[in-house]
Amino acid sequence: MLQHMPRYYHLHLCFLGALLLIAGCDGGKSSNFETLPIDNYLQKPGDFLGNRYVLRAQIKEQLKWEKGLGRVLAVVAEGSEARLPVFVPEAVAENLHVGQRYEMEAIIEEGGLIYVEALRKY
Amino acid sequence: MWKHYVNISFSRSQIRKNSDARDRISRSRNREILDGSSSGVVYPKPHGFGYIMRSSLCIYVVGFFGVASVSAQGGFPMSGQTPTAAQQPAQANASAPTGGMFESNTFLEMANRVFDPSSDSMDFENGSFEWKGKNFNLSEQRAFRSRFERFLLASPTEEEEQYAHLMADILERLSVSNNTSDDAILDTWELLFRASRFDLDGGNSTIVANQVFNAWRIRKESRGVSMTQRELQQVRQYQQEVVANRAMSLQNIRERRLRETSAGQRDDGEASSDGTESVTSEAAYRMLDLAETEARIIALETQSAMTGLQAKLQFQSQIVSFMLQRRFEHALVLAGFYQAIFKGSHQSLEVGKDQLQEFLPGSDLAFTVDSMTFIAREAINDVNKGVEAVNAAYKEDRNLIALERLQEVFFLGEYLTELNKIPTDQRRHMLDLYRGLIEAGELAQAKDYDGVSELAVKIYKLAEDFPKNRVLSSVETAKSMSDMAVFAASQYRNLGDIDKARSELQTAINIWPSNPSIREFQQETTKLATAGSQGVQIFDDLYKRMDRRGIYERRMDLGFALAEDTQRRPLLMEVVEQVARIDLLVNQSKELVKQGEAYAAWELLVEAAKVDPSDGPMNQARAELAPRVADFVLQLDLAERQSEAGHNAGALAAYLAAQDIYPVSRLCRQGIQRETEVLMSGLRVQE
Repeated sequence: MLQHMPRYYHLHLCFLGALLLIAGCDGGKSSNFETLPIDNYLQKPGDFLGNRYVLRAQIKEQLKWEKGLGRVLAVVAEGSEARLPVFVPEAVAENLHVGQRYEMEAIIEEGGLIYVEALRKY
Repeated sequence: MWKHYVNISFSRSQIRKNSDARDRISRSRNREILDGSSSGVVYPKPHGFGYIMRSSLCIYVVGFFGVASVSAQGGFPMSGQTPTAAQQPAQANASAPTGGMFESNTFLEMANRVFDPSSDSMDFENGSFEWKGKNFNLSEQRAFRSRFERFLLASPTEEEEQYAHLMADILERLSVSNNTSDDAILDTWELLFRASRFDLDGGNSTIVANQVFNAWRIRKESRGVSMTQRELQQVRQYQQEVVANRAMSLQNIRERRLRETSAGQRDDGEASSDGTESVTSEAAYRMLDLAETEARIIALETQSAMTGLQAKLQFQSQIVSFMLQRRFEHALVLAGFYQAIFKGSHQSLEVGKDQLQEFLPGSDLAFTVDSMTFIAREAINDVNKGVEAVNAAYKEDRNLIALERLQEVFFLGEYLTELNKIPTDQRRHMLDLYRGLIEAGELAQAKDYDGVSELAVKIYKLAEDFPKNRVLSSVETAKSMSDMAVFAASQYRNLGDIDKARSELQTAINIWPSNPSIREFQQETTKLATAGSQGVQIFDDLYKRMDRRGIYERRMDLGFALAEDTQRRPLLMEVVEQVARIDLLVNQSKELVKQGEAYAAWELLVEAAKVDPSDGPMNQARAELAPRVADFVLQLDLAERQSEAGHNAGALAAYLAAQDIYPVSRLCRQGIQRETEVLMSGLRVQE
């Protein structure tokens, strides 16, 4: 079938493929934020207040949920065994299930709270 | 019985051989007696019949009540109990007085049953011993005990064996199947004097011999009376003839005079009247003589009848007396002589009917000499069987049963030689058992439980059928009841309820007067009263320094001192509760450490530290345990520090980390909940 196409069509297909490849590479890293340094955070969470980080983690347990407000989850970040508490506002949250893996964009709020602003499965 | 008879015949020949000379003398003398040529017989003399409340407790009570008056302000609960909690055990034990008395009575009833060696057939209260529907008069318990112990201490002797043979010989001779001629009876009668020389006889054979002799003498007198009667009857016949002759002569004279009168009426009128008068007066005299003779005959007949009756009654009376005294062999011997001396028609008992009615209650039988013989033989047979039963029980190590049966047998057969079949060793063993039971019974009455337990063990060694375990169990129960009453008294004392404390103490004393806890209670009470006066100052000093442990250790003294202090008393109670809780948690923690639950143990110590972080024993326990739970403690400490710094998310993360170490941690669970809630609250405010 390609043999019957005009030659410029081949050029267009090559360009689209290059675009898709670039777009696919960008999808692996949705954010430009740094990954949260978990060990340091656990020792002195106050040092990280106001910073934004990206966190790739698996949900282990839902600690608390409040309607209209959101939920506090215990997650285990990649490369760590420690459970971390994160807050997912109701507006951001989808159906979250224990065992699901998410990439989260989060800001460290008052009290050292990891406040999730956006998340997506990975 | 056949064997018995064989023994008897042997003894007869032996006895005869040994005392021929004496028999000859005795026989000649007795013939004299029977012939009336001797004034009497010199009999051998009958042998005689060898026949706490404790002061210390008062001191306890006085001491306690003295102290009680000092400390009557009240008290406070011990061992960290709340007032209500402290009241509960005391109130629960408030029923102890009733329960205690019940227990005490139960123990005494048990002791009366177990330690009473008397047989059921012996009723010392009514003083009667019942045997097959027959009532014997039982002597006072002490008298019986002394006779029984004397028997147990005695040993069978050869002399007693000889006596047994002699009595059996006498009874055999009196048997109707043997020769019952006068000579044979006389020979048997002579044997009675030989029997009376034995101690065991108690002189009763002499009584039998006397009765027999008396009957013979009366019979002899009766013979003399009969002779006189015969002579008088001859005289009477002569006199009757004389009177009759005189009447005929008088008639003849009258008829002759009548004829002479018709022949020559007028001449001899005065002379004939004189002759008739003289014949008439002589006849009157002869009639008077005849009447006198008749009267003398009647008097002699009456005398003879009275004497015979008297002899019979004396005999019967003595038979009944022997029966009631349980002298069955002598009753048989006397009955044997009676039957030989008196006619068969004289067998019905005329005397002792009241005594026999008492002896055989409810019986409407006609009492005869034969019935007495039957009962006596039955008693002797029963004693024989009883002795065999005692020996059999002893051989089978049923010594308690053996002792009970022995008492029955002893009372019934006290004067019978059948009891000699019980060997000396067995008697001594029974004596030890008998004394042990009596002593244990007395100790039980005195409520000396330690003594009772000790004796119960000893008695069990003497009699394996003794219910030792029942006794020991009852003793332990009684002791526990007394201890509980003392404990309740302590509780009431500490609560300031002196009346109830006094009542409980009295109960404890009633149940077990020598309970050592009573003395401890008294000493404790005295100490408390002494310390009470300085208590306020001590409490203020300690409380100022928040030395909870110091207050707790002096809680008893301070409780008395602050009993009426409405300000300090609640503080004291609070401190005591706190320290008691710390102690409880520390002890539980130690238990968990022993079980390998170090993290759980740490959590309890953390709880204890919340009550008083400066408590010595608690901190010591923490220091000992900390190295074993360092990782967990580290996370908890971090969580606390983060929480204090306001980093609730950090604290939450630390709690989660700690929970990963000890998943069932209560502290972590609570910390996670708490920190999550704080975070959510903050977010809610921001929203």
